[in-house]
Amino acid sequence: MKKGVGILSVLFVLTLLLLPASPAEAQCQLGVPVIKIGVQGAASGPHADYGRQIEMGATMAIEEINAAGGILGCKLEIKFMDDENKAATGVKNARYLVAEWGAHFMVGTDSSGVAMAMGPVLAELKRIHFFTHAATHRLTEELVAGKGIKEIVRVSVPVYQDAIVAALIFKDRPEIKRWATIGADYEYGYVTWNLFKETLRKYRPDAEFVAAVWAPFLTLDFSPHVSAVMAQKPDAILATPWAGEAVMLLRQALIQGVFDSQIQAWWQAMGGSVDVLEGIASEVQRDRFKGKLWATARYIHNWPDTPENKAFNERFRKRWARLPNYSAETTYSALFIIKAAVEKSRSLETPKVIEGLKGMQINNPGGLRVFRAEDQQFIYNVPAGRVVMDPKYPIPVLGDLKVFAAKDYYRHPPFTPVAATK
Amino acid sequence: MLIAELPDFMDDIAFQGLIGLSMAMYLWLISAGLTIIFGVLRIINFAHGSLFMMGAYLAFTFYGQLGLPFWLAILLSLLGVGLLGLVMERGFLRRIYGIDEAYQLLLTFGFILILDDAVKIIWGGVFKIPAIPPFLDGAWRVFGRSFPVYNAFVIAVGVAVAVGLWALFEKTWWGRIVRATASDREMANAIGVNVPRVFSGVFVFGSMLAALGGALGTPVRVVAPGIGAAMIIQAFIITVIGGLGNLKGAFVASLIVGILSAYGTLFFPVFELFLIFAIMAVVLLLRPQGLFAR
Repeated sequence: MKKGVGILSVLFVLTLLLLPASPAEAQCQLGVPVIKIGVQGAASGPHADYGRQIEMGATMAIEEINAAGGILGCKLEIKFMDDENKAATGVKNARYLVAEWGAHFMVGTDSSGVAMAMGPVLAELKRIHFFTHAATHRLTEELVAGKGIKEIVRVSVPVYQDAIVAALIFKDRPEIKRWATIGADYEYGYVTWNLFKETLRKYRPDAEFVAAVWAPFLTLDFSPHVSAVMAQKPDAILATPWAGEAVMLLRQALIQGVFDSQIQAWWQAMGGSVDVLEGIASEVQRDRFKGKLWATARYIHNWPDTPENKAFNERFRKRWARLPNYSAETTYSALFIIKAAVEKSRSLETPKVIEGLKGMQINNPGGLRVFRAEDQQFIYNVPAGRVVMDPKYPIPVLGDLKVFAAKDYYRHPPFTPVAATK
Repeated sequence: MLIAELPDFMDDIAFQGLIGLSMAMYLWLISAGLTIIFGVLRIINFAHGSLFMMGAYLAFTFYGQLGLPFWLAILLSLLGVGLLGLVMERGFLRRIYGIDEAYQLLLTFGFILILDDAVKIIWGGVFKIPAIPPFLDGAWRVFGRSFPVYNAFVIAVGVAVAVGLWALFEKTWWGRIVRATASDREMANAIGVNVPRVFSGVFVFGSMLAALGGALGTPVRVVAPGIGAAMIIQAFIITVIGGLGNLKGAFVASLIVGILSAYGTLFFPVFELFLIFAIMAVVLLLRPQGLFAR
């Protein structure tokens, strides 16, 4: 009897060993059950829509990629985590995603501060993180080009968009001379203002920078900031609080009569984001900003005017009942960049995938993105414009678009330092 | 040249002071509830900011989503948060009055997490902001600048609440009972005061003050998960400066913090944030019990 049980056991084990791997693994040419993508973003507080949009973009991309057979036969799976816009949480999440969950790649991150804290940790974890929102130039200029951290790849345009494009547009407005900022009281706000000043001074030595006030994360009352800069009678204001904070700031500026004053222009960095446009829609409809509100974004849903972008918008609206903001498009595109790089390198290993990125040119909904190896950025054009209503869309859009070639407003290596202080 | 500029400059200073006053009134409303609850129940309610947030969300729902008049939406949000306060006090806090203070911290911190997640589930993570009620839109010409009607409204509500609280605690029977309970709960109990009922009443009342602070700002401040955390730190600073449990202290400290931080933004924008903490540090060094505590 005992002998019979023993033979049966051996036969059972042999059968298990001889059975082919599960169908998914058999199909996957990379030898893994599934390709895991760790996704992070701010999913709480006034900035929560960005994390949500990152998640929506990533989800839609993997649904489409998986429906078309995955990457080299391997299915994709994502895990989204809220980094709460806190550096410590972002780092903790990254460690968990790689070490415990087993992420092959990571995508997302909204805050510059979180990104800068994660950078050195990525080198230690040996996993690529595709940054799809965090905007400080230092991420790619200092950590990639300077320190050689190859695990950092940037898919979204950095503060060049917020600062240099503003200078390129307003250098040609001679009546605007006195500038003030209501800045985000952290890295993003400081570098945007410093880079803007540096660029504008080159073209307009007569420009004056008359006031700079700073508002930290979770500011609920911008009234003192608005009144403090208005006391200096600027011609224009550059504002960097974003998301819900941008909506609050604009509304509080409106009721202080800023747009009825001598102010000629208000440059709202990232004001072209869907959540901000939704938040100020009723004011734009009533022309409360009097055509003085300018904004930019890292992708705008009404540009480029291509069939691919229109189709992406349609699919996104059908899937989520909202328009995509830039963190959705950049994250969606990052997933397709991963797909292209893995297919080219036929590997999930970090050095091989980085090799696979070299020379890549890829068409995304936001247009053509070209990989620049020196600082590992995907370079692409995004226009800025005036916030206007368009009957084709339920919310305001950017109109009167000013389109610059990316090569004209991206900084180029070797990079000169820009202060990241007030 | 300087003299020619002086009138403008003086106007700007006066205007910034008015803006600071409106900020101070928001701070006053939230810190008043916090300090009343501490004064009577001896509970440091870390979840007070979450009650502020709940007030804002309920006001948004009643006013922004259901289209009720703004004043009615505020009233309903006060009632809703008052009810929530009642559940918190009767169901949970009551059980920890006699034990170590660390349990207060754990329990009220737990409420922060629960309420933050609850609003995400109910209203989603994306911020909300309704339209400004037409009667509060616009600005008045004050000191040569446009002063928002909305900020004037907030100042009026803050002052009215201050007068109302003074009258309530100094001139009414309930106020005397509450003060007696705060002063010596055993003695109050001995002379026939229903102390548990007073505790519930005070907690509900304090919760409603937090809700008023949240509801009042709904059309000019966004409503989002986490806004309570932003407020609670400032509210604690104010109650520490004014003296824990001291209502007059909370009012004066709100004025100090609101107005000085507005001037800090005007004159020292680089150090403005540091200013509030510096005031608190100086008060703690010179008068650790707070400005008005006995």
